[in-house]
Amino acid sequence: MLQAAPTSPRPAIPTWRRRLAKGWRQHGLAYGMIAPACGLMVLVHLIPIAQGIYLSFLKLNQFTLTQFLDAPWVGLDNYRAILLDPQNPVRAGLAVAARNTALYTVVVTTGVLVTGLAVAHLLNRPFRGQALVRTLLLVPWVVPAYVIGILWGFMWQMDGGVINRLLVDGLHLLEQRPHWLTGPNAFWAVVIPTIWRSWPFVMVVFLAGLQTIPQEYYEAAAIDGARPWQRLWHITLPMLRPLIAVQLLFQLIYNVYSFNIVAMMFGNAAGYPGEWADLLMPALNRQSFQLWLFGYGAAASVLLMLAMLMLVWVWYRIFKVELVNP
Amino acid sequence: MDRHPSGTDRRSARRRRASRRAAGHLALNLLTLLVTAVMLFPVAWMVLASLQTNQGLLTGDVDLAHPRWQNYLEMWRNIQLALFFRNSLLVCGATTLLATLLATTAGYALARFRFPGADLFGMTVIATQLIPGIMFLIPLYLLFLWMRDRLGIPLLNTFPGMILVYTAFFTPASIWIMRGFFARLPRELEEAALLDGCTRWQAFWRVILPLSAPGLVATAVYIFLAAWDELLFAWVLAGKPEVQTLPVGIRLYVGQFQNRYDLLMAAGTAVSLPVLLAFLASQRYLIKGLTAGAIKG
Repeated sequence: MLQAAPTSPRPAIPTWRRRLAKGWRQHGLAYGMIAPACGLMVLVHLIPIAQGIYLSFLKLNQFTLTQFLDAPWVGLDNYRAILLDPQNPVRAGLAVAARNTALYTVVVTTGVLVTGLAVAHLLNRPFRGQALVRTLLLVPWVVPAYVIGILWGFMWQMDGGVINRLLVDGLHLLEQRPHWLTGPNAFWAVVIPTIWRSWPFVMVVFLAGLQTIPQEYYEAAAIDGARPWQRLWHITLPMLRPLIAVQLLFQLIYNVYSFNIVAMMFGNAAGYPGEWADLLMPALNRQSFQLWLFGYGAAASVLLMLAMLMLVWVWYRIFKVELVNP
Repeated sequence: MDRHPSGTDRRSARRRRASRRAAGHLALNLLTLLVTAVMLFPVAWMVLASLQTNQGLLTGDVDLAHPRWQNYLEMWRNIQLALFFRNSLLVCGATTLLATLLATTAGYALARFRFPGADLFGMTVIATQLIPGIMFLIPLYLLFLWMRDRLGIPLLNTFPGMILVYTAFFTPASIWIMRGFFARLPRELEEAALLDGCTRWQAFWRVILPLSAPGLVATAVYIFLAAWDELLFAWVLAGKPEVQTLPVGIRLYVGQFQNRYDLLMAAGTAVSLPVLLAFLASQRYLIKGLTAGAIKG
């Protein structure tokens, strides 16, 4: 015989609905506040990334472009061409750009951090006009990078450029006017303006950091007879470590993705600076939007993204600076 | 003499030490002056060159006594600089407004609320900064192309399309700046407001937001500086002069009029002015906002 189910006075609300309602009461405002940013990031970041990974498996050029959903699937062919095929001209161009970008990133990042720290030390003493000097030093950081590309492209000119005029005619440091924008010098022609532009911001951050270090540490070290470089090594650098770590990461990302200065400085040559100064971002942009090799471009972007993720992982293993909830 | 220092010796030793310190200060001040001069030289040269004749620039006869203000009139005639200027102001202005708005609410939520998914959202916000721009650019271009041809939604070569992309592009970094700013405001402010009968939204809207003006200014100026400089996306997503922004417009100009450095320098000076003014007007908040965020995380 079946037993009658006990009748409850009112129908039970399913637990998932109750939990949902509770969650909404607790967190509704928070979700509402992040919703617009979330929606936009899904639309403009997440969907395009997924799509970009998908595109990297297609044969995508000017003929298949408008019907990209029906473009032929080639699997890993784009990756194979970029990584392994020595005959492929795209591979040769990207290899040169990757080598230059790696070198450029290391040189610029080192230059920016060392100059930033050195000048932060120089300014970290009371003197009249400190705020004014700090503001003036930041002016190059405010001038748009594309203007800096045009400006330095003009300054580096062999005959009419002010740099050669200063070096050769003014200071007599060099006998002959060097070519700055062609040949191996082109590398320095993009490195120097980038360092010139980027270090002031790092300096301002380090200066703010130096001013939070208690003066007693230095006084105690001075009593113990510590030399200036010992104070730098044992007090300043450890205290600034989190700041240095974050600025290092920002600089790495910023410099790997550097585009404006090179693209503008070599405007006369349609943005191509030759093999000595070609960086990844301008090279990828050319592959995709001038040669219409979108499949290669997408595959190279995916590889670059993976390389950056690995770089950040290594960075995190070294510094252990928590970015999300410090 | 060492064992029995007389008053005069001590005094002269003190004076020597003082003079050595003064010399050291002078050397440091001179070094500071030198660094500042070297840093400002290229910018000064740009302004100076914008007031010369092109012939003078090429041959090296720089005439300081007779500035050529005509360059600033002529540069508007050679290319559609005024149009590009208007486009940049429109796109960057709208982007700044929208991205600041989105970053303010999202940054507040991240700083003050613990909710499931907060860490995931925070991680995603940071992760977006790691991804190469070209990674979004190709898909976005194709997506916009597809939306135009199949759905009839005009996002390619239009202001709404550019503003949408720019806002999405600059919102993550701005969320991070605003989050850092809100995290430094004392929680007691909201607690007092809640005790007075405000809802959480009212506490945010009436108490926190008015106090956030310096952070809002810092974030807005930061977005404006970044958007004013954006070239890669503008180049691809705005293919018509009617919507092209300054970097794209001037790029075309660099290719076509490569020998008119006088006009290029005048244009460079003119397009740097809006961001320089925004920076100078807000630099106290901007520096504090950006460095404090960097220090306290």
